[in-house]
Amino acid sequence: MPDFILTFLKTALHVLIFPGLLFVAIGGLLLAGIDRKVLARMQRRIGPPIVQPFFDFFKLMGKETIIPNAARPAIYKAAPLIGTASLAIMMLFFPLFGHQAAWGSTADLIVILYLMTIPAVAIIVGGSASGSPFAGIGISREMVTMMAYELPLVLVFLAAAKKVGGTSLVFSLDSITAWQQANGCLLFHWAMIPAALALLLVIPAEVGTQPFDVAEAETEICEGPLIEYSGAPLAMYKLNTAMKMFVMTALFTVLFLGGINLGGGVLGWVLGGLLLFAICAVLTILCMTLIHAVTARLKVEHLFKFYWTVVAGLALVSLVLVWFGL
Amino acid sequence: MFQKLIAKSMMKSPWLYHINTGSCNGCDIELVACLTPRYDVERYGFKLAGTPRHADIVVVSGPITTQSRDRLVRTLEQVPEPRCVVTIGSCPQSGNVFKGSYSIEGPLEKYCHVDVAIAGCTPKPEAIIEGLYKAAQILQKKREAMK
Repeated sequence: MPDFILTFLKTALHVLIFPGLLFVAIGGLLLAGIDRKVLARMQRRIGPPIVQPFFDFFKLMGKETIIPNAARPAIYKAAPLIGTASLAIMMLFFPLFGHQAAWGSTADLIVILYLMTIPAVAIIVGGSASGSPFAGIGISREMVTMMAYELPLVLVFLAAAKKVGGTSLVFSLDSITAWQQANGCLLFHWAMIPAALALLLVIPAEVGTQPFDVAEAETEICEGPLIEYSGAPLAMYKLNTAMKMFVMTALFTVLFLGGINLGGGVLGWVLGGLLLFAICAVLTILCMTLIHAVTARLKVEHLFKFYWTVVAGLALVSLVLVWFGL
Repeated sequence: MFQKLIAKSMMKSPWLYHINTGSCNGCDIELVACLTPRYDVERYGFKLAGTPRHADIVVVSGPITTQSRDRLVRTLEQVPEPRCVVTIGSCPQSGNVFKGSYSIEGPLEKYCHVDVAIAGCTPKPEAIIEGLYKAAQILQKKREAMK
């Protein structure tokens, strides 16, 4: 068989099945189920079964898709798919516990930073294409949320890059993982602990869970950008939210717990996948379910203030400590 | 295989949209009681949706006042198929104590097909849960008839 067909098949396998679409979709939907179940138990309810997000997804797939007269049909339908594609591709840049990343390169963190904004942009584009005034309020809030969490995120990435690079900045996740294999996980270097906390606080805003769900406030502006969506495109948006949970917690795992080594071979891959999911589940409960259960929704200006003072401050503390070589 | 899964999911995850058409708030409170920890219908997959576009089951309470009639009809039209309409309490069925008033345009049957009607003033949460469960079963049948 010619070489390029094999390369193509390998890439397709990576994008569609293992670290890509299927793995992230199933993992994300399971995480969303765990989130809902644990939240219910915290509120002394029985709660839905863990596979509930799968039911929601398939139900929405079977519903009628209504396209409003005021909408732009092409953008309206394509926007959620663009978000899903970028989330599936993001996983290819993550090295899994000592294994090389499928698409590793020299500036992964910068690519990830850009890929991470695409799902949010997809919501903004899709919402504005639906032509509803509620969606208009929702997308303006989504934009503010995006600006709010981008700054701390960049600072966290810079701190990690400086810590690993020493005199220069290293943006390659493969190199960051290799450094952690040699020197221990970044989470256990005390100068990086504020940055880890900052990233943990960025995750719920990126995913859009309870205290930070100003853009999709369902009781206030009727789900904001998603107000006109129904059927399959809505199912894709719900899938995107679930996938974001998995990808963001996986990013934390790779960045701060990359020092765990499970050996090579098929067994190493399987164990790596399982451990990744377990860590992601713990992180989901820690930074999303727990905060969701004890807080009410913030106003958008409070959210902005919180991220640019407290969270950015935490990340900045790490960056300064790392800059002085600690 | 997917058709079967979709039909099953239809019953497992019905999302509610609640419209109050001049209800006295009694039925609304009982519906909220179903959603809160004591009765917790979320264990069957029921969830309150924020907009009619996301809804599978439309829950109507109140005796359809003149002011709310047009809005009710418009909202019902926005719900994607397959959908179910459930009424809570006696008001949407008969007008209850408001019957004969100049400002009441009920019953709901005049404007749309009602799939499940839960009687009572107000119905108990147990009765509402049973009615919603029946509506979910009807939803599955409607989906199977759709393909």
